[in-house]
Amino acid sequence: MAHIGFKSIIVTAALAGCMAAGAIHAAQEDVKVNHTSLKSGDMAPDFTLLDNHWKQIHLSDYRGKKNVVLAFYVLAFTEG
Amino acid sequence: MAKLEETDSVVFGISIDSPAANNAFAEKIGVKFPLLSDMNRKVLKEYGILKMYNVQKEEYDWAQRTTFVVDKKGVIQSVEEEASAINPNNAVAVCTKLPKK
Repeated sequence: MAHIGFKSIIVTAALAGCMAAGAIHAAQEDVKVNHTSLKSGDMAPDFTLLDNHWKQIHLSDYRGKKNVVLAFYVLAFTEG
Repeated sequence: MAKLEETDSVVFGISIDSPAANNAFAEKIGVKFPLLSDMNRKVLKEYGILKMYNVQKEEYDWAQRTTFVVDKKGVIQSVEEEASAINPNNAVAVCTKLPKK
């Protein structure tokens, strides 16, 4: 029992350490950026969006036909 | 962009702008590929690339500039975050390596 208790103390200490490091990191950031968790080899989530002529574009329509480059930009009429 | 067409690829620009704004933008900068509107930020959330921008002490959620290359099987081949304006060179390089058929 004593052994298990010691282990859990180590785990708790490690967790607290991680959380403190996270808090410091957050304080240093003035903008919150979500970095994508998608990576090479993952399936691209499907979507349906309106293009600039109000036509629906389904990502899945290009399956088996074309490679698709998705370039996410911040805002129109800015430097992109 | 002609280089990309040679690799059997299409390009979509995606932002939170309306279709009307994107169309005006497309005409202004002369892009031929479609600009897609993610007005409700659904796709940005799904792809996990919302970024908080601070403008005059108000916070806004827009896209973190990121370029994904998706192959014909729907599999992501490349993910690249961009510090400034989107640069297509890497996407062209990735698409060039992908099988033609």
